[in-house]
Amino acid sequence: MNWESFKKLKGDEGWLVIRRAAKAIQDVLRQKIATFEHKADVAFVSSYTTDPLADYVQVFAAQNDLAVNQYIAPYGQFNQELLNPQSELYRVSPQITFLLIEAESDAIDEQASRLQGLVDAFLKNSTGILVINTFPACPSWPLQVLPDQRRILIEKLNAGIIERYQSHPRIQILDLDALVAYAGCQNAMSPQMMSMARIPFSEAFLGLLARRIISHIIATRGLARKCLVLDCDNTLWGGIIGEDGLDGIQIGRDSPGREYLEFQKTILELYEQGVILAINSKNNHDDVMQVLNEHPQMLLREKHFASILVNWDPKPQNMQKIADQINIGLDTMVFIDDNPAERQMMRQSLPQVETLEMPADPSLFARTLRETSFFARAYLTEEDKNRGQIYAAQRKRDQFQQSCTTLEDFLKSLEMVVSIHPAGKDDIKRVAQLTQRTNQFNLTTRRYTEADIAAMAQNSAWRIYVLGLKDKFGDNGTVGLALVEIQPKKWRVDTFLMSCRVIGRQVEDAMVDRICRDATKAGCISVSAEYIPTAKNNLVAGFWDKMGFEKENADAKQVRYSRQLKNYQSPQFLYLKIV
Amino acid sequence: MIKDRLETIFRQSFEIGKFTEDLSVDNVPGWDSMAHVGLILALQKEFAVSIPPADAIELTSVKNIIQYLANRGISSG
Repeated sequence: MNWESFKKLKGDEGWLVIRRAAKAIQDVLRQKIATFEHKADVAFVSSYTTDPLADYVQVFAAQNDLAVNQYIAPYGQFNQELLNPQSELYRVSPQITFLLIEAESDAIDEQASRLQGLVDAFLKNSTGILVINTFPACPSWPLQVLPDQRRILIEKLNAGIIERYQSHPRIQILDLDALVAYAGCQNAMSPQMMSMARIPFSEAFLGLLARRIISHIIATRGLARKCLVLDCDNTLWGGIIGEDGLDGIQIGRDSPGREYLEFQKTILELYEQGVILAINSKNNHDDVMQVLNEHPQMLLREKHFASILVNWDPKPQNMQKIADQINIGLDTMVFIDDNPAERQMMRQSLPQVETLEMPADPSLFARTLRETSFFARAYLTEEDKNRGQIYAAQRKRDQFQQSCTTLEDFLKSLEMVVSIHPAGKDDIKRVAQLTQRTNQFNLTTRRYTEADIAAMAQNSAWRIYVLGLKDKFGDNGTVGLALVEIQPKKWRVDTFLMSCRVIGRQVEDAMVDRICRDATKAGCISVSAEYIPTAKNNLVAGFWDKMGFEKENADAKQVRYSRQLKNYQSPQFLYLKIV
Repeated sequence: MIKDRLETIFRQSFEIGKFTEDLSVDNVPGWDSMAHVGLILALQKEFAVSIPPADAIELTSVKNIIQYLANRGISSG
């Protein structure tokens, strides 16, 4: 069997087929025959058998270019694994631990305190992320007229779990109750599987659960895609604007048209979660703008899109332009088009872009989008909530730049105000997110979780600098970050990054200056830094040289720099006001 | 034919050479207790029968499976 056959699997082939593909992937990974772009170390600790679930996870992960290194705790050993500080789980020390358990008792206080005991032990003995499940509140007597007391209790238990743990930085909730409800109790739970293999779920549900697990991995590892790129005709509305005209296209509360409204609603929800929207359509530009600005039933408007490319060029070419305009990688983009030929072309030309397979029936578009893991997030930051406006402002900024004759004119008239401050409690989520999402202006590309950053913020040997930027078009939010390790005579810049939104605005100079000034004040002799090249950060290859740092070694994989602080003088900032 | 449909399942699931009635848990690599559960699920789906756990334990060779399915009234035509 060709090990790459996993790429074609849909997940409904049956567990044996999935299992064989998973084994083939594991062999290839073990023998280092091939590698995947991303990696994650996960553990399954459970009251039931998780091997089949792990097989599905392996296959779906590989389809997302993700190699998952799995530790599967022995069957039923979850108490020992979590409570014993010397357990194999803690020795393996995975990034994400899935604690998947059944309710042992109908006494909800007892169940809740057991769970709390396990969670507390984990938080004490591990630095990783713990994923816990809610319990399926399935009807025990579906046709009984009496109130279902057991179900009511489990619902209470679940509400308590969600309330207690939902905003903990190191705990994620896998809402199994909701997932089972989505699939339906009869379809999801399988007494036969329980009897044969000690697995409470049906084969079909294992696939859905595995996809949810992939979402947790994507969210934790910062692999969520950033931008959704949409076709127009028969995707955002029914019909063809160039032929049917503004009054002829289908969009609104009446049918046909309602299915497109539902789809737009789904897209708008993603926008509110911080997903950047763009349009890539073969049409006359003015026709599409007229729909966006004038059609009374449209939910999506011009202001929601960070980039609008409407022309008759091939779509892969437009895609590249959108990526350049927004300044993000193609591998952070998802493309939706109703036309199978366009999808095929996109997949062939730009395989890095995730091109969603769409059903022929537009009334299923919304569901298809809602059932993807690509935009999975464990939390939302203020930046996420405002991202749409920030990018709309960026579009105006770009237009303004084109009207300026020189870069100096542009920078001067932006009226930029930079603020640099040590990270407070409110910044921790955004700091972690920046380390996970920033690829281009990132000198070392070290990824940190929220838990890592929280630990650094507590540790006096670390200083976390965050940089905010405002200008005449609005607040850009927190766009820069430096993680600095404080050593007695020498500070070490562990991480230095800037959001791609502000590249070319010279704010990075202000951050370097701040570090050097603070280090000088603290009595340092020098500041050291590194450049670790990746496939994406070539932009900053010469950054430290430009900042007056000197190369210390010739190791091309990790270039070390240092800057002496004797007689340090700040540069002049012509375009920035620093507060 | 039952046998042809079985062969498809076995080829998808295991590395096997010639498909014969002699194939069993003793000579098919990878046909372990976990895979056995998967095999039962695949049989149930393919032949639209529900196989109770007590019967499932007995289905340890292709010969047994063919015999069992025939007894359950799956036509060999």
